Amino acid sequence: MLQYELKKIFLKPVNKIILLLLLVATVAGSFLAIRDVKYYRKNQPPLSGTSAAKYLREEQNKWKGPVTEDVIKHIIKEKKKINSSNEPEDAKFAMSQGFHDITSLISVAFSEPGEYDYYLCDSISPEKASKLYERRISRLKKEITKIEEGLEGSFSKSEKEFLLNQYNNFKTPLYYEYAEGWKALLDSQYLPTLMIITIVIIAFFVSGIFSDEFRTKADSIFFSSMLGRNKAILVKIKAGFLTVTVIYWLTMLLFSAIILGMLGIGGAGCMVQINFSNWACMYNITYLQDWILSMFGGYVGNLFILTLSMLVSAKSRSSVIAITIPFFLSCVPMFLGRVPALKNIVTLFPDMLLRINKFLGDFIFFEIGGKAFGIFTILIPAYLLLFFITLPILYYSYKKQ
Amino acid sequence: MELKVTNLTKKYGSFTAVNSLDITMNNGVYGLLGINGAGKTTFMRILCTLMRPTCGQITCNGQEIFSMDGQYRRILGYLPQDFGFYPDFTLQDYLLYVASIKALRPAIAKKRVKELIEKTGLEKAVHKKMKKLSGGMKRRAGIAQAMLNNPKILVLDEPTAGLDPNERIRFRNLISELSEDRLVLLSTHIVPDVEYIANEILLMKDGMFIKQGTTEQLIATMEENVWKCHVDKNKVPWLMKNHRISNLKTDSNGVQLRIISKEKPVPDAVIEEAVLEDVFLYYFGEKDGMENAAI
Repeated sequence: MLQYELKKIFLKPVNKIILLLLLVATVAGSFLAIRDVKYYRKNQPPLSGTSAAKYLREEQNKWKGPVTEDVIKHIIKEKKKINSSNEPEDAKFAMSQGFHDITSLISVAFSEPGEYDYYLCDSISPEKASKLYERRISRLKKEITKIEEGLEGSFSKSEKEFLLNQYNNFKTPLYYEYAEGWKALLDSQYLPTLMIITIVIIAFFVSGIFSDEFRTKADSIFFSSMLGRNKAILVKIKAGFLTVTVIYWLTMLLFSAIILGMLGIGGAGCMVQINFSNWACMYNITYLQDWILSMFGGYVGNLFILTLSMLVSAKSRSSVIAITIPFFLSCVPMFLGRVPALKNIVTLFPDMLLRINKFLGDFIFFEIGGKAFGIFTILIPAYLLLFFITLPILYYSYKKQ
Repeated sequence: MELKVTNLTKKYGSFTAVNSLDITMNNGVYGLLGINGAGKTTFMRILCTLMRPTCGQITCNGQEIFSMDGQYRRILGYLPQDFGFYPDFTLQDYLLYVASIKALRPAIAKKRVKELIEKTGLEKAVHKKMKKLSGGMKRRAGIAQAMLNNPKILVLDEPTAGLDPNERIRFRNLISELSEDRLVLLSTHIVPDVEYIANEILLMKDGMFIKQGTTEQLIATMEENVWKCHVDKNKVPWLMKNHRISNLKTDSNGVQLRIISKEKPVPDAVIEEAVLEDVFLYYFGEKDGMENAAI
């Protein structure tokens, strides 16, 4: 029975075209992400993509290993040496690409709260720079205070406690190696965009599973058959679950495989904080853990939103209305979030799960019983639970048709 | 097999689609005859558990059909008036899918599908997509799906609607062939369809059974005679206004009429033997000029 339910979905000519579009979007998205990797050369145009990755890997892996105080001192000395040369600015930058991630961290850590002095590491002493980790915590503490001063009540006591606890638990020294593949995959806008495209496309597949019986007027035969009000409905749910699971994971794995395959899988064990855009991130996780979290969170978001779409399809008998649900839930909250009054509420919307990698560095909390948690620690299990709750509602709604 | 309908009523707001139906049906072919909107489809949909009645009940061998749930639907075959299917499925896939939701094991389903494809003469269409089948083929596919589980109760709602005469005759014969050892309820407003194959005919009007019996019994219930006469064209409007005209045929000398009337409509009219079509007209037909003329 399941194979025929799946055939109903995948035999539709429009779905075949849409599937092809998703494939094109995935491949195009991965190549755009790869293209964003740049390697700057002396007196020559910069390289991008895999050729850039090749040189960056070579340069960055010279600094592979724990970023200890000695390594930081060494980097600062190296940086000063480059700066003292007579090379033009562009060339100086090109020469320091191997440790640019570390110098960026030093710059952000030693800048004043709320500011970022890009050239700070040019003037800092090696000894001072070597205190990077202590400075990180004190700088972040100051940052929290500054945010609090600027915006009254920005952090509750428990949120502050949680943040400081996370910063104190951050294991040092950082491990560093070439991680451009993971950065292109997780620190770019392409992954959340692809997740939104994927969910909207999967909606075309699953939105008709229940309503098409009515659209094609096959409902009378379906419901008057022996299993039409029990097992056949379960099989429809199963077909929906399989469609979401297979398309989502194939898309995400293909996207990841192309990027990591072209740029390399090195750096999986690096903490996400190695990239200065994540330097204040309260989640102490590696790039591999970030990938697992983003992918699994996205999957939970897909499961919940698309099951909701199926429920609407079963209730309304219309796939048109059902298709709008994923679009509404994945796109509209982004705009609603710009309304100050809705800013906090939208952080609880399921679209957050499609953008975990982008929100990882943001201070978004959820408080339960006076204890603060990072929002994703709560959203993932909460929406997984809601997904499981939606399933029997879907079953009984359709059974009663 | 006994299907007992007791005080069955279905209301939609103030409109009563099915009104206090009472009938007991056993194996055999029952023809449900009535004009459009008589409540035939509503009655059949309740019989197929697709909608619940407002009041009353249906029992199958003493058990209420809604509480029997899947066990009742296991012995049910249904061909709805609006036969819907999955357009991108081949005929074979379609039948195998329906077999699966009828809980047939795959091996049995394959065998049964093959048998029914042969029986319905659809061998050449087996790999054709459902949307590519002709109207007659679709109807035959419809009867094939209804027969997949070898049902004890077969409900066919307007199965011959929209078919050409050849297909209709073929379809009628097929139903006759399949009606052995089961209860077949066949609804139609095409009189010859039930005249040839039904053992018992139920006349339905305004949600009620107004008469039931064999063709002969129904003819006997007519309190008017069937007359045959030949008249001038100018007399036809007057006759149509005052009598039910069963048939009208124009020739070079005037018009030949078949009239249902208690009295002799014209002096040279002669009595004819009534047929089921006359009964249909007698109960459902309106005289020309009357409001809501149904046919």
